[in-house]
Amino acid sequence: MSARADILMVDDDPDFVQAIRALLEGHGYQVRWAADGDEALRQARLSRPSLILLDVMMRERTEGFFLLQEIRRLQDLRDIPVIVLSSIYADCPSFRVQPEADWLPANLFLPKPVDPAKLLDEVARLVGTPSQENDR
Amino acid sequence: MSSTRLQESPGRVVVVDDDEVMLLSCREVLGRAGYDVETYDSGEAGLRRVLEVRPPVLIVDLKMPGLDGFEVIRRVRSEAPEVVIVVITGYATVATAVDAMKLGAYDFLPKPFTPEELRLIVRRGFERWLLARESERLRREKEAAERRFLAFVSHQLKTPLVAVKQYLDVLAHTSRDTLPAQAMQWIERSQARLNEMLDLIHDWLALARIERGELCSREARSDLVAIVRRVTERFSNLATQADIRIETALPDEELHVRGDEASVGVLVENLVANAVKYNVAGGRVEVLARDEGGHVILEVRDTGVGIPAEAIPRLGEEFFRVRDDRTRDIPGSGLGLAICRRILGEVGGSWTVESTPGSGSVFRVTLPRAACDGSERSARKHADGEVS
Repeated sequence: MSARADILMVDDDPDFVQAIRALLEGHGYQVRWAADGDEALRQARLSRPSLILLDVMMRERTEGFFLLQEIRRLQDLRDIPVIVLSSIYADCPSFRVQPEADWLPANLFLPKPVDPAKLLDEVARLVGTPSQENDR
Repeated sequence: MSSTRLQESPGRVVVVDDDEVMLLSCREVLGRAGYDVETYDSGEAGLRRVLEVRPPVLIVDLKMPGLDGFEVIRRVRSEAPEVVIVVITGYATVATAVDAMKLGAYDFLPKPFTPEELRLIVRRGFERWLLARESERLRREKEAAERRFLAFVSHQLKTPLVAVKQYLDVLAHTSRDTLPAQAMQWIERSQARLNEMLDLIHDWLALARIERGELCSREARSDLVAIVRRVTERFSNLATQADIRIETALPDEELHVRGDEASVGVLVENLVANAVKYNVAGGRVEVLARDEGGHVILEVRDTGVGIPAEAIPRLGEEFFRVRDDRTRDIPGSGLGLAICRRILGEVGGSWTVESTPGSGSVFRVTLPRAACDGSERSARKHADGEVS
């Protein structure tokens, strides 16, 4: 497709980031990384990524949720799609946030570890495929 | 008796009695003992004050015009349960004493009583209050520590596993065609072993949450039919891969049981997962649900390896697993049925298990039926709203 899709990963685990980054870069996406909420906001406002992949439990237990609300409040960021990646969904069967819930407006929730094929599908659905030569 | 001593300086005592002389003497005796005494000559005034200041000890006469002692006790127990209540009455009979104690009064003082008896009973009431306050503080501390520990386990144990698993998942996805077959095989084995570990942590956390009363809600209700449909649908791929057929026999209408959807879902999931896991190629899993006179019966039948008779009473023990040639290679945390048993305990259900080793097992679960129209729940909510 057109311009290279630029993805911002917000996660405090460098290994997890490296694995996902390798996957996405291998499919032609450009990936930036922020290790906490403040850094993520700074980078997001600077570079306006096409998509944000967001962890929930970073320094604070629910830092990702607060960041998500903040993103949706900011005029220049509110339209960027967000996929929440977290391992908390596996633990709490009762914790089911609907993507359309207006207090937590993420486009999608995926459990960690993430199924690579599923992630690539969803990323392509939200921001398109960056290059034709990479087949899945 | 003189060896017991108060840990703190005496505090506030509220005395409620329509007898002026009684109020005077209480003020006199307890005031001299160092208590901060307040007296009220009616149930209404006394109750208002008690709910306002929540004193450690309330002394209340049972027989008063207007709001009587029983009603005062009832209201204080429900709205200020930490207040220790001592009852006095002129018509001390065993029956009235028992009635007052049943309502939650701590002790009983028949008229007439000596100043020493009054001091003693009030001091004991105070000690009781201090003890209750202390154990409540300890309970809260313990709970907070457990919650921190759970959160710690959840995050610290899982984070490294997730990172390792993620590397392997990406590696397997991107390099399937380029890696040597042996490497690919080892990656897949590693993925499987990591999944076992993640499942174990997940099950252990679920069990801990149920024990702490965080996971189950017996006030809630859920539709067993919808849950069985969802769960069997979810396991259909796994079953097909293992050449196992899942069949259901469900009523057309909804079947509401006590317990929230998440907990009942976990219960059904674990039973169906076992029926698939401990099955054999070409086998069958049947899931049946039906209404049976005020109860709902859920049956999960399999044509699997079966359970030896001596193991059946031990099903539901933490980390208990049947270990023999047939089950050795089947992964599991040993917590799935323990979780089921706890959930059943929480929602007020039970199970029976029949099994023939070599040909299959039947888990028959009895769940309390819940009203279908939701009136039960909304009625309770309404009542709660009126009290608070």
